[in-house]
Amino acid sequence: MGQRPALVSWADHHRKAASQSLQRLIAEPVQSFLTCLAVGVALALPAVLWALLQNVEVVAGNIQTSARFTLLLEQDVSLETAQLMAAELETRSDIELVEAIDRRDALARFAEEVGFSELVDNLHNNPLPNSLQLHPGTSLTVSELDDLADALVALSGVEQVVFDTQWQARLQAAITASQRLTLGVGVLMVLGAVLILGNTVRLGIEARREEITVIKLIGGGDGFARRPLLYAGLWSGSAGGFFGAVLVALLFWFVSPPAERLFDLYGLDRRFIGLGLPGMLILTAVGGLAGLVSAWSTALIHLRRAQPR
Amino acid sequence: MINFERVSKRYEQRDALRDVSVEIAAGEMVFLTGHSGAGKSTMLRLLMLLDRASSGRLLVNGNDVATIRGARIAKYRQDFGIVFQDHQLLFDRSIFDNVALPLEIAGFHPRDIGRRVRAALDKVGLLGRESANPVVLSGGEQQRVGIARAVVARPKILVADEPTGNLDPGLSAEIMGLFDAFHRVGVTVIVASHDLALISRLRHRIITLKEGRLIGGVGS
Repeated sequence: MGQRPALVSWADHHRKAASQSLQRLIAEPVQSFLTCLAVGVALALPAVLWALLQNVEVVAGNIQTSARFTLLLEQDVSLETAQLMAAELETRSDIELVEAIDRRDALARFAEEVGFSELVDNLHNNPLPNSLQLHPGTSLTVSELDDLADALVALSGVEQVVFDTQWQARLQAAITASQRLTLGVGVLMVLGAVLILGNTVRLGIEARREEITVIKLIGGGDGFARRPLLYAGLWSGSAGGFFGAVLVALLFWFVSPPAERLFDLYGLDRRFIGLGLPGMLILTAVGGLAGLVSAWSTALIHLRRAQPR
Repeated sequence: MINFERVSKRYEQRDALRDVSVEIAAGEMVFLTGHSGAGKSTMLRLLMLLDRASSGRLLVNGNDVATIRGARIAKYRQDFGIVFQDHQLLFDRSIFDNVALPLEIAGFHPRDIGRRVRAALDKVGLLGRESANPVVLSGGEQQRVGIARAVVARPKILVADEPTGNLDPGLSAEIMGLFDAFHRVGVTVIVASHDLALISRLRHRIITLKEGRLIGGVGS
């Protein structure tokens, strides 16, 4: 009978505040929809960038694995020696596969590819050396590839190592820059969402100023007055995040057929990566968190002002 | 129970209360009267901690209210039932929800809330109208909902600021009768009113203020 333990009534009021604030949102469907959509659009942009980056990284990873070194040997290194070198190099942990290429085969292939077979036939001697084709380990980073290249140049009998690591370094730098950009845009957009929601919560406080004043006059604390506002923020934010996730999913549904065709043309057996269910849930949670933060801070500022006269 | 000790309150250019000393005993019913601007509302505002005294002390149950700050203010106000001149009902919810608000704040069980709200509405003669919106009620009925909300949590002190200010004489007498009834069951009642004709009929102490000074009704 009478007053109950603080925790029980606190939980009770949470339940009530949660359902009442949800009902309020539903009671104004157009306004609520527009707010949530604005939050959704704000959150969709960084999510799209993030997902695009995932795809770029996968493609880049694929290109990295197809990297290979060509070791041009000195003219006097025989094919047998080359084969021995190949076998020895293959024992290294950072090398996956080494293939010795006969200089005659190399010339024939060159002639075929370039289409100057007659010209090549007329050459008195083969200008090409024997060579080794070397596939490095797939997990090597750019700097490890550089180290490997240095080690290969130092080998006796190796004239020249043909491998351009610079474009890979550029690609990696571009990816890192894009990651930062995505993070930066993400922070800005979440801030935007917080501001949009903050304004909505502020309007909610204005609309309910009378209620808040009465609550304070009859002994309700700031927590009691704030609770429905926090839930309103949480609901709008979560709905906004979910809308954002749906927007991104629609966008990727639109983009993925040509994107997958592009992958196909590059010989990549890859599906276009969207947000996926975890991504959608994370976006919804980010929205909810943004809503909560914005409601909290707005309530902190404006509830003070809503003092009874 | 309530002790004003040489309390003064100064708003920017104007002295709202000057050196007021008065004691109100537990279970007493008193009227605060005087012209508008005489300091009635200021005394109630100080009592509800809506304002702080510029000098002097205000003791409630022996405690100096100046020490009550922050989150404890809300708790302090829960000991009071307040009735406003413009009743301050919320028109976005039913009569029941309006009256239930203090119980929700105090953390009562929903079952007890229902019981107490109906009991309070019964006392003010509005039982059976719980689910209506207060906007459909007349001015006198709205004020009675306001009183039901003020008494539903069974406060020790009932404070009313010009509760009959907007009502005709018949309804005013009815409302004052309600306050008297609460006083008879042991509630301390403080009613600010400038309707001297009405309050002098009720035979309770009348504390009279003029330009912030106490000019009558100091002793009981």
